[in-house]
Amino acid sequence: MQVQNDEAGGLCLLAPNRFVHDWVNDKYLSRIIELANDYSEGMRISVSVVVANRQASRFQRRSQRSTPEPIPTANATPTMNPVPVSPSIPAYQQEPEPVEQLELASSDNHNHVSGQLSAHNSTSSSQLVSPNAGLSGASSAAQDSNQVIRPAEAAPEIIKPSSDIEVEGGLKHRTYLNAGFTFKSFVEGKSNQLGLAAARQVAENPGGSYNPLFIYGGVGLGKTHLMHAVGHHLVEQNPHAKVVYLHSERFVADMVKALQLNAINDFKRFYRSVDALLIDDIQFFAGKERSQEEFFHTFNALLEGGQQIILTCDRYPKEIQGLEERLKSRFGWGLTVSVEPPELETRVAILMKKAAQSNMLLPNDAAFFIAQRIRSNVRELEGALKRVIANAQFTGRDIDVPLVREALKDLLALQDKQVGIDNIQRVVAEYYKIKVADLLSKRRSRSVARPRQVAMALAKELTNHSLPEIGDSFGGRDHTTVLHACRKIKELREEDADIREDVKNLLRSLTT
Amino acid sequence: MEQSNPQQLSLGVALADGATFENFYTIEGSGAAQAVFALQTFLQNPSEHGFFLWGSSGSGLSHLLQASCHQANQMRQSAQYLPLADLVGFAPEALLEGMERFDLLCFDGLQHVAGKADWEQALFNCFNRSKDRGRKIIFSANANPSELPVKLPDLSSRLAWGLSFQVPLLADREKLEALTMRSKARGLDLPEEVAQFILNRAPRHIGELFEILDRLDRASLSEQRKLTIPFAKQVLGM
Repeated sequence: MQVQNDEAGGLCLLAPNRFVHDWVNDKYLSRIIELANDYSEGMRISVSVVVANRQASRFQRRSQRSTPEPIPTANATPTMNPVPVSPSIPAYQQEPEPVEQLELASSDNHNHVSGQLSAHNSTSSSQLVSPNAGLSGASSAAQDSNQVIRPAEAAPEIIKPSSDIEVEGGLKHRTYLNAGFTFKSFVEGKSNQLGLAAARQVAENPGGSYNPLFIYGGVGLGKTHLMHAVGHHLVEQNPHAKVVYLHSERFVADMVKALQLNAINDFKRFYRSVDALLIDDIQFFAGKERSQEEFFHTFNALLEGGQQIILTCDRYPKEIQGLEERLKSRFGWGLTVSVEPPELETRVAILMKKAAQSNMLLPNDAAFFIAQRIRSNVRELEGALKRVIANAQFTGRDIDVPLVREALKDLLALQDKQVGIDNIQRVVAEYYKIKVADLLSKRRSRSVARPRQVAMALAKELTNHSLPEIGDSFGGRDHTTVLHACRKIKELREEDADIREDVKNLLRSLTT
Repeated sequence: MEQSNPQQLSLGVALADGATFENFYTIEGSGAAQAVFALQTFLQNPSEHGFFLWGSSGSGLSHLLQASCHQANQMRQSAQYLPLADLVGFAPEALLEGMERFDLLCFDGLQHVAGKADWEQALFNCFNRSKDRGRKIIFSANANPSELPVKLPDLSSRLAWGLSFQVPLLADREKLEALTMRSKARGLDLPEEVAQFILNRAPRHIGELFEILDRLDRASLSEQRKLTIPFAKQVLGM
């Protein structure tokens, strides 16, 4: 949470959402007030909690503040399933905002706090915002709805969230074109050739016969990358092109917000005004009928207007359950292409390219070693390479196969399985071909005593049980017996090749 | 109120003051040391988004996640620590709404929500929103990304996207060192034989060992006695 002063000198806490607001009110507010009063040495300090909620507040102001904000503290009762019931949904931006002095009712009803968000996070995102977009108050919002600033022209080298698009009613949209996802950085292979060719076609001839472009395939195979690449190309060709990328969840959330704010017409106008609409993971529309309805109309309007639509999905349109038939059939009107998991050579090529981007030398055999072991998707491939690079940097070594093996050991092998004492006893008994009951018995013959000592030593090494607990589990023995066993086995592991081999084998079968 | 700069208050469990990187014991060159190094590098690197730590209970994941929050705060960034074991009963969409505005989110104990459809979906959405914004997320779990029983493949592949590191449990020798280091930090003289005595008799989970050390420290202070084996025996009722 963020803290700021309100204008009456009181303390104002900003909660990121309604849930946290309720939580803090319920559990911490009285303590915070107590502490605040302690610090202020007798002077009474008012403390209020508000949901950081600039957008909604702005809209509210436009509509004559029909819904007071913040939520009255006194009645805030968190439940096990709190659902935001406030008509105003919290805003999401943290960019520095022009100070808007909004009069918000505070929790204790006698002072007022300002609704401004703190501007502590004045990072690069602010540089990407145009002088108009994102800074406008409600009065100028209408003119701004056509302003789109794309990262490609504002700051091409920054991989950062991109521009804000202001819509009437204070709703805010972002394009989020990822600067790293271009055609140039896409690694072509058999598995994605078709998708790439289709994307190139659409980029050259948007709104043409490949509309919509529907790209489907499993997770982490480059669907989003292709989609962004088209977006970047469109913006390069026409810097004024209004390209909007968003995840389907965002579309749904924005629509819900628009409905709650009575701004559904602005929502419609916005989505129908774009030159290209890129929606990711369309399968999450499943079961959301109101969103599907809205999207259906948007879809038709865009298609009629010759504006390009690109959709991605984890499966073929017909296979999406919970999606309206009319949408399914429309999704197939343009071009439907699939991307498949990359084959070995492509995986190697991807690794080489990523390594080069990180200025690391990745020898061929090391790249093959990784690519042979990680087959599922490109994200995992990237994660593994990052891990290898981190190991190389930490140890100051060059990347080679032994280093890769070492780095990926814990990712690839199933290490550090949870091992319990009973498990150890079972495995040890099996290994020495004796019964678990023998391990727990009073018998002290060599054929039983040695395996028992081995099992005790393993229990100490592999579990967090206390030595008395371990002793207990071996037929109620004393912790000194366990200590003795551990010392004995340690000794034998140095002197006796058989025991060394036994322990090694047992450790392996217990931990992998 | 002199400060008008944003400050952090944690949601559920307060960040433990002692949960800092300085206070995290590792042996030079060990797997844990490498994980800590990678984590600190990650926190400094603006182009990285996700980080995944995994290990058994007692390997110090919560400590490292809270240390990351402390460090983010020191760098004047906002951070939120989210202990999923405590939060699993709540409605995830409502809880995570707007959370992507934090510069750093730390989700501790993914195993508590893995396999729960509403949580997986909410985490997936939160991940996307946070990544779109160029913010950072750290996850911890008791298993690596591919072994964690996450059902939503979209979330699963994203968990494996960033760096992932295992933090191994401390061996007994290292626990001894950690106990000694911690007692030194608070000005308590812990003779090696007493440390060894504790390790031989007490639960060997590092968290419980530290609790025992706390008890001994308080007793030693209040009774004005040095730590010896008989004194430890008496305090711990062994």
